[in-house]
Amino acid sequence: MTHDSHQQAQELIACRGDGLTEPQQTWLQVHLAACDFCREYAEAADQLVRALRSVPITADPALVRTTQLRARLHAHKLQQQQERMWLVWISCAVVTLSTALTTPLLWRSFAWLGEWSRVSSPVWQVGFVMFWILPALAASVLFAARGTYLGSRNGTPQG
Amino acid sequence: MNATACYFVNWMEPENTAIARGLRRHDPDLLDRLIEQYQHRLLRYLIYLTGSRETAEDLFQETWLRVLERGGQYDGKHNFSTWLFAVARNLTIDLQRRKKPESLDTPRGEDEAPLDIADSGQPSALDVVAQRELSERIMAGLACIPVDYRETIVLRFHEGLSLEEIATVTGAPVGTVKSRLYRGLNALMSRLKGVQG
Repeated sequence: MTHDSHQQAQELIACRGDGLTEPQQTWLQVHLAACDFCREYAEAADQLVRALRSVPITADPALVRTTQLRARLHAHKLQQQQERMWLVWISCAVVTLSTALTTPLLWRSFAWLGEWSRVSSPVWQVGFVMFWILPALAASVLFAARGTYLGSRNGTPQG
Repeated sequence: MNATACYFVNWMEPENTAIARGLRRHDPDLLDRLIEQYQHRLLRYLIYLTGSRETAEDLFQETWLRVLERGGQYDGKHNFSTWLFAVARNLTIDLQRRKKPESLDTPRGEDEAPLDIADSGQPSALDVVAQRELSERIMAGLACIPVDYRETIVLRFHEGLSLEEIATVTGAPVGTVKSRLYRGLNALMSRLKGVQG
């Protein structure tokens, strides 16, 4: 028997269980039946694995309780965040819908107002655009300021 | 795959799908049950990985919080334990990177303290003392082998993961897992000659 066949047998011994194909298992059985050295190695490996499995490591019940409590609180927080996100999505949908419906009316109102006050078309059209985008701009600035404030208070978010 | 394995896989799939669905909802009752179910396995893995019970206990808590936050990423197609160990492993790597610029691949030195297994809550008796002595020698042996080998040995022989599952947890190819298993077993056997039996 060659050195390579002993090494191959030992590699297969380490992967016994679901790690071997049928031919590998057959080859190993034949090799172990004929080789005292590898058979002893296999027995020593089995003993080691048994000893390893007998090492008693258990979690402290207090640790488990604390973890469950922390997880419960965190889950509650995440659920609230999720609900808030739903509100945000619903609000976005409502705003989009109302925008689509009211824009033509608003345009006509500005046109009528421009005619009534005798200002040129570009003037009331600029007024319409400002009326349209200013609230969104103000909201963006407020959100950005709030985000910067929260970011500086909480430090860098986790990756 | 034999009939028993097929039955087991078919039985596990709805269980994993239910876990995935519960995690997406951030279901606290499901979390309670999972923490209860995987408490010993996860802590054991973390102790072997970090070499310190205290660090492992901190990471144990952080792992479950991360599971809650990233629960949406678990697809239910793989075993939950495989995904859980991968989350714990990533957190351990993050922690070690923050602590010192060494990777998880760096082996522990011979002069480092053996893995800490204190506080197992066992009553004192002669056979328990003997068992503890054996455990300490095994842990000391494990502490001296490279962490990649140690992790693979623990996942395989302690947690009973398949080679493919270990490959998923560690992000290494199956061939590398096999090689680590063989080298790790050899290294441990040469360090623990006379311990067994």
